[in-house]
Amino acid sequence: MSAILRATSLAKRFGGLAAVDDVSFAVERGEIFAIIGPNGAGKTTLLNLVSGLLLPTAGKVELDGRDLTGLSTAERCHLGLGRAFQVVQPFPEMTVRENVLVGAMFGKPGVGRGEAERRADDAIALVGLEGRAGDDAEDLTLMEEKRLEIARALATQPAVLLLDEVMAGLRPAEARDAVALVRRLRDEGLTIVFIEHVMPVVRDLADRVLVMDYGKVLTEGRYAEVTQDQRVIEAYLGRDDEGATA
Amino acid sequence: MNRAAAPARAARRRAVPWDVVGLGLLVVAAAFMPDLLRALYDRAAVSYLSIAINALSLAILALSWDVLARTGQLSLAHAAFYGTGAYTTALMLRHLDLPMWLGIPAGGLMAVAFALLLGGLTLRLRAIYFAIATLAFAEVLKAVVHHAPTAFAGGNAGMNVAPLFRPVFVAGQMERWEVAYLRNEAYFYVYAGLLALSVLISIALQRSRLRHAFTAIRTNEDVAGVMGVRPARVKLLAFMLSASTVGMLGAVEAHRVGSVLPDQSFSVATTVLALVTPIFGGLYTTLGPIVGALGLSSVQELLRRTFSDGYLIGYGVVLVLTILFMPRGVVGTIGHAWRKRGSRSTGTPPASRPQRAGPAPDDAPPKPPSQPGGDA
Repeated sequence: MSAILRATSLAKRFGGLAAVDDVSFAVERGEIFAIIGPNGAGKTTLLNLVSGLLLPTAGKVELDGRDLTGLSTAERCHLGLGRAFQVVQPFPEMTVRENVLVGAMFGKPGVGRGEAERRADDAIALVGLEGRAGDDAEDLTLMEEKRLEIARALATQPAVLLLDEVMAGLRPAEARDAVALVRRLRDEGLTIVFIEHVMPVVRDLADRVLVMDYGKVLTEGRYAEVTQDQRVIEAYLGRDDEGATA
Repeated sequence: MNRAAAPARAARRRAVPWDVVGLGLLVVAAAFMPDLLRALYDRAAVSYLSIAINALSLAILALSWDVLARTGQLSLAHAAFYGTGAYTTALMLRHLDLPMWLGIPAGGLMAVAFALLLGGLTLRLRAIYFAIATLAFAEVLKAVVHHAPTAFAGGNAGMNVAPLFRPVFVAGQMERWEVAYLRNEAYFYVYAGLLALSVLISIALQRSRLRHAFTAIRTNEDVAGVMGVRPARVKLLAFMLSASTVGMLGAVEAHRVGSVLPDQSFSVATTVLALVTPIFGGLYTTLGPIVGALGLSSVQELLRRTFSDGYLIGYGVVLVLTILFMPRGVVGTIGHAWRKRGSRSTGTPPASRPQRAGPAPDDAPPKPPSQPGGDA
């Protein structure tokens, strides 16, 4: 089985700082793949390189065997890359449904109006926001905003969904709901790549874990393996709060 | 019950197409306006028609600017498109032996071509950088026209442009002033037609999926891109549509004024009016720029009649006060108050009611208050 998402020797330098340094990984179809690491390890930068918001200094990203180099964010979306942001950024002047409609109408070229509305309503139902569909996006609670963030990405009909810390700031019960949601998405055939700080969530969800530190790959493997790795423990013990959650 | 609320509200919103109704009313009102003015004011109708033409001209300019503003781009190039249209028709009259009327669509097309060129180069720039680039473009274009060979484009002295209409005075059958009336009446219909076209473009955009693309790009271009919207392409389309009507307006005005001059056709004042009017009336709507144009024209005319000297100071004060105290513009403020009143009278909990804090509603006219019980 070939990888659906593959990064090869990705690097991003900001001036003298190597935010991402020679990172390679491959995600199999239908896998839930976690990226963890201390703050500032370069996780979000890595996702930005994958979704095309940043251009890499070196290396390439392939989706389903297709080289994404030189493609815009929109073109990557059309090819099947969905993205939910860490800092939720709904379009405040639109309702929840209109927010999701943007993804449904433009996520894939040539989607008709009725089809887009169906896709939007499906995505809203999947994340459980039906009751808020007509409300303005800026009136949502944090949990609802995160659901909206996921619904918008889902409405683009992605093959691979990139989730950036969607559990951050959620209460334990809400996090459990979110974990169930991610599982359901995988069961529907999506491949999921997610950044996460909450270790129990990583343990419950991830098939494989990529650990980053200072822009480099520290190690990669199953949750039980990487958490036993001495280098990972050291990287995390450097930060008190992160060590506690691990 | 909440789950049923959204589709119900959407259905009701669709029930009355206020934008199309408004356009119909505009067309009907325009059709009868000259005769009505004449019946009411006799020969004074000539000057009233002139005022009305200026208001229509301002509305076309403002609506065009607003179309691009919906994508979050602030154009300071509208004088350039206006001047391009004016000079296109003037140059065609001078150098080509073609029907005069062709100058109007040609002016629009030329402005679109410049928008394509300028937009292709600058629309990747955001907000203030784009604004500066467009201003520079307008100034460069003015300088080029200034310094082009006099035999070609008239240089400093500009060029004469023949009028579109020449009503003939027939002694014994009409009075002298009626010639001016007939001329103004004919121009009035041309301007009204051009405004109708502008409104049609605006309504079509607001009803299409592009409206969502515009708002998405305006509020967060990066997120819009990640969700599959192609910002560069969408903004370029908006820019070209925006330029088309202003280019035609510039051409028509060249015929009405009778001449083109570099400083007059490429005046920064045109650019300023293009952006001040929709801000005054209410941004990102079809109605706002039109209300802004009618409102500002009326204010200006009233002030001019009251204080013939220095009326522009009063005009400036009105503008500043409006922008300070009504940041949503006239339409945005009224629409906001209307919705708030509606939500109080129906007693619906605020959670299920849209409460916008943005600068203006996105729909063309302010939405009527929801009917009581409609959300149940």
